[in-house]
Amino acid sequence: MRIMDIELVIFMFMLTVMSLYFNFAISLYGVVAKVNLVKKLIALTILQDTINIFTVLVGYRLLRPGLTLQPPVVIDLNPTPEVIKEFVTRSVDPLPQAFVLTAVVIGLAVTLFLTTIVLHVSRHFKTVNVDEIGRLKRGYIHEEAV
Amino acid sequence: MLRDAVFTTLLIIVIIALTYLTYSGGLGDLPPQDIRLIAKNYLNLTYNRDAYWLWTASPEAVSAIVWDYRGLDTLFETAVFYGAILAALTVFRGVAKLPDTAGSAGLSLVVKRSTALVTLAILTVATSTALHGHLTPGGGFQGGAIASIAPLLLLVVFGRRFFTDNRITYGKLLTLRNISLSLLGISTLTILLYGLLINASGYIFQNQAKATSPLSYPSHILDVPLGGTIFFLNLFEFLAVTSGFTLVFTILLSSEEILSKEFEGEDHGY
Repeated sequence: MRIMDIELVIFMFMLTVMSLYFNFAISLYGVVAKVNLVKKLIALTILQDTINIFTVLVGYRLLRPGLTLQPPVVIDLNPTPEVIKEFVTRSVDPLPQAFVLTAVVIGLAVTLFLTTIVLHVSRHFKTVNVDEIGRLKRGYIHEEAV
Repeated sequence: MLRDAVFTTLLIIVIIALTYLTYSGGLGDLPPQDIRLIAKNYLNLTYNRDAYWLWTASPEAVSAIVWDYRGLDTLFETAVFYGAILAALTVFRGVAKLPDTAGSAGLSLVVKRSTALVTLAILTVATSTALHGHLTPGGGFQGGAIASIAPLLLLVVFGRRFFTDNRITYGKLLTLRNISLSLLGISTLTILLYGLLINASGYIFQNQAKATSPLSYPSHILDVPLGGTIFFLNLFEFLAVTSGFTLVFTILLSSEEILSKEFEGEDHGY
């Protein structure tokens, strides 16, 4: 692999990082600005996935001449010390992957909980529009006060 | 309109600021030239027989970190997931045990037959992902997440009463889930309890023998690495996740008539 190619690899990597920032910003916009609760929920899951991919990406390592990357799995089931040494030099970082695994489960739990709440809200107010829900609530409070 | 313009400007500033910080080395070299020292240690020890007091007997480093080196972390994560499912079940506790009143015949015969085959394939892939979690990328949670697609498909294609008609009731699924979670807890305590019985030292979450504790789970079965506790934890997590998801899907896919019963009562119960 020539020096030029390494620069290309770094450029492509940074481009991916930038596109993830872009994704992050758009999903943040969805969570904050959208009035539909279901759209907010979808934007939140995209936000979670963006952060997860970013975390895995940070655990990657630079592909360069003479280095073939591999997942963090020992392929040889009776490894010699040389095999282990080779494995350590070639494998990507397993720690962000383990963290992401935890984050995915927690994210799923949050999504499940929010879905249940949105379902509850939509059945109660017959709408998932937050502006509309606010208006209805004000109406209820006004009625009670009267 | 003004709101959208303000949001868009703010987001562009966020993107530019983050990109500038990344380019100026805020996150170090990207992509990194080398992995961190702690990751090197994990990779070096996970399947290193020469360091038998620190190895996990699992060739897959991610599973080893998830269920051995950082096992307590995962235990609490499982507790959070358990809590989320419990919250969903609690909201619908009144209607969860009721059989669906709307008898749905499901989709056509062609769809049913093809779904039966696909379901078999899904369950095979899920079981393989869960049971090979210590050998190849995968694990109990991933296997459970794949397997939970099967009940979702079955409920849509064969009708809402598929599970109740086939005697897979709410109670049975809840029992399976609770048993799996109990076994998950017990397998983390087995070495400690065994150590107490035979008067040897043992630890919570112990997988392989340590310098101060000679007890360990079997590292191999028929010459295939077993990963000690990792295999069992993956298996129980798989069962717990599958049954938990099945429970939630069954409730969330119930008919309107059943679900709306939960929301009757107070006039403005928000």
